[in-house]
Amino acid sequence: MRDGQDLMREIVALVAKDLTLLLRDRGGFFFTFIFPLVFAVFFGTIFSGSGAESRKLPIAVVDEDSSADSRAVIAQLDTVAEFDTQGMSRGAAVEAVRLGRRVAYVAFPKGFGEARRRMFYGRGPEIELGFDPSRKAEAGMIQGLLARHLSAQVGQLLSNRSSLRSWIHETEVSVDSSATGGGRRGALRRFLGELDRFTGEVADSTPGAAGDGGGWQPVSFKNVDVARVRSGPRNAYQVSFPQGIVWGIFSCAFGFGLSLVHERTRGTLVRLRIAPISRGKILAAKATACLVAIVGIATLLLSFGALVFGVRATSPALLAIAVLSAAIAFVGLMMLFSVLGKTEATVSGLGRAAMLLMSMAGGGMVPLFLMPHWMQTVGSFTPVRWTILALEGAIWRDFTLSQMALPCGILLAIGVGTFAAGLKVFRWTEG
Amino acid sequence: MTVPATQSHRDTMLRLSDVRKSYGKTVAVDGLSLQIAAGEVFGLLGPNGAGKSTTVALAVGLLEADRGTVEIAGAGGPADPAVRAKLGVAPQALALYEDLSGAENLRFFGTLQGMAGSALAERVRWALEFVGLTARARDRVSAYSGGMKRRLNLAVAVVHDPPLLLLDEPTVGVDPQSRNAIFGNIETLRRQGRTILYTTHYMEEAERLCNRVGIIDQGTLLALDTVERLIAAHGGRSALVLDENGTERRIETEDPAAEVAKLARRGSLPRFRLEQPDLEAVFLNLTGRHLRD
Repeated sequence: MRDGQDLMREIVALVAKDLTLLLRDRGGFFFTFIFPLVFAVFFGTIFSGSGAESRKLPIAVVDEDSSADSRAVIAQLDTVAEFDTQGMSRGAAVEAVRLGRRVAYVAFPKGFGEARRRMFYGRGPEIELGFDPSRKAEAGMIQGLLARHLSAQVGQLLSNRSSLRSWIHETEVSVDSSATGGGRRGALRRFLGELDRFTGEVADSTPGAAGDGGGWQPVSFKNVDVARVRSGPRNAYQVSFPQGIVWGIFSCAFGFGLSLVHERTRGTLVRLRIAPISRGKILAAKATACLVAIVGIATLLLSFGALVFGVRATSPALLAIAVLSAAIAFVGLMMLFSVLGKTEATVSGLGRAAMLLMSMAGGGMVPLFLMPHWMQTVGSFTPVRWTILALEGAIWRDFTLSQMALPCGILLAIGVGTFAAGLKVFRWTEG
Repeated sequence: MTVPATQSHRDTMLRLSDVRKSYGKTVAVDGLSLQIAAGEVFGLLGPNGAGKSTTVALAVGLLEADRGTVEIAGAGGPADPAVRAKLGVAPQALALYEDLSGAENLRFFGTLQGMAGSALAERVRWALEFVGLTARARDRVSAYSGGMKRRLNLAVAVVHDPPLLLLDEPTVGVDPQSRNAIFGNIETLRRQGRTILYTTHYMEEAERLCNRVGIIDQGTLLALDTVERLIAAHGGRSALVLDENGTERRIETEDPAAEVAKLARRGSLPRFRLEQPDLEAVFLNLTGRHLRD
């Protein structure tokens, strides 16, 4: 009779054999260990924008006015952090937008500068905004940013006593020479005169008042960093690395599922079944090898993420629980898939289809918050959804143990249920 | 390693009693009964699809019989892992890990059989030497030739020194050199007193290696005896084939020597050849078909 030591030795031999085969299969090794890392780094870099440059909106600027005002506005646009401006002719600007090289063009037509100084009479200044109809969101954003910066310029004018009084005097001359009707001209003259007096008095009685914010401001914004309050991901890698781990788990579980089919089609399963070990132990050893490999992948990715990209768990203990729960869920699924099909083609097809669907619906490809609501609901039925939630819960969502219980409990239930079903089918099909 | 003399030819190592196995309407093995004594090399001879591999699968517990019993070394059926430990099997389809070396395959399967430490290392070394693969022990199996893989397949079957070997067509698809090497291995095992169930559709192998042979066709055991007795009972008579000026004439006879002497006395002995009955003739007479039909 065999004792416990013998049984353990046999399981260790089975596990070591599977891990050796995994490491010696270059393709399998790449997709299990390297691809998830590349995935995490690649998408983390994309979503983090790799610096401010990639977040800038590329716009073409057309100056048909060539006035001091238009040049001043354009010079200010060049300093706006959100814009990547490039001056060009109208034709070139339209072509650049049409070809998608620029999101929009901003044209300052002739008379812009003159119209801008005519604040209370005649036609106001006009800016032409040409944009790609498929990029309405960016166009709206550009319009808002332009309005903000132009309003700020007016605010500066009205807030500075000397420039305001200089503008008043220029405007009085301009009104006199304009074609504005007699009644309206008189009213404007009175208003400008009162404004000039007001500016002078305010400046005289409250020194510095006009220049220290007491002037005109359309609205002021106070920015609050909400992320710090609700503890969001510190960087995009904290989102992409859990996704990378999911891909690693997928690849690993898929590889081990296929390896069981290989054992069957290549005859080695016959030898395993003839050996004096039980069917359950064969399957348990295969599952253990898969589990070890998954934990290895997760450790590799998390170590790399922590060292290079600052992906650190708020709770390493909860992270370990999350990884283990996810591993158990996918090992169970792998066992079930591997015994449902007789051939490599069947199991491979089944595995790929499941991987694709679960990944798409569960947030393994695109973060869930970017998906429509119904898709997020569908995602709740996939282990990918709960794996990502559990991993994120330990990495940046600040989950407590009780909050972690739901995703991990679901993952464990999936793992145990599917493994039991797989074992039953295996015993039934393999005699 | 050698089976004690007292055990040879007395204890039954494998007993199949009225075993039947069918797949749907196809009956693969029908009421098969046989006993293999300790130290005996028993040949199961039949064409492809005769039921040989199914018989082996039933004997080792890969398949469960619809009817009948299988007993190994008087210890019970193969469903019991302790009983399966007495078996060494070389399946017809190569059953090796291509990405492991020959030595690693042997170590792995030896461990599954409960071996460890220096005893395992010694058996691995012995098995590699036994099949002539010591020099290639560290090479991955994927780099082996077909013949080398067959030899390693046999080595895996014997690495744990089992008392009963089941070799299912162990020479299929190998080159003559490897085939001779495998024959040499089996003859060595036979000299050591190992019990072997050897399935083949090559009558030459059965004649050369086996103490007794069972003729199987369409799942039924048609005859079972020593090669000599089978030929005597079912092989028919010898034949003298005379070449008479380019025309062949066939004379069937119980006593070829006497027939030649008679022709010589008449002074009419042309060139001739002697055709003696063999297992092919036995099979032909029993089934009306050739072994390789």
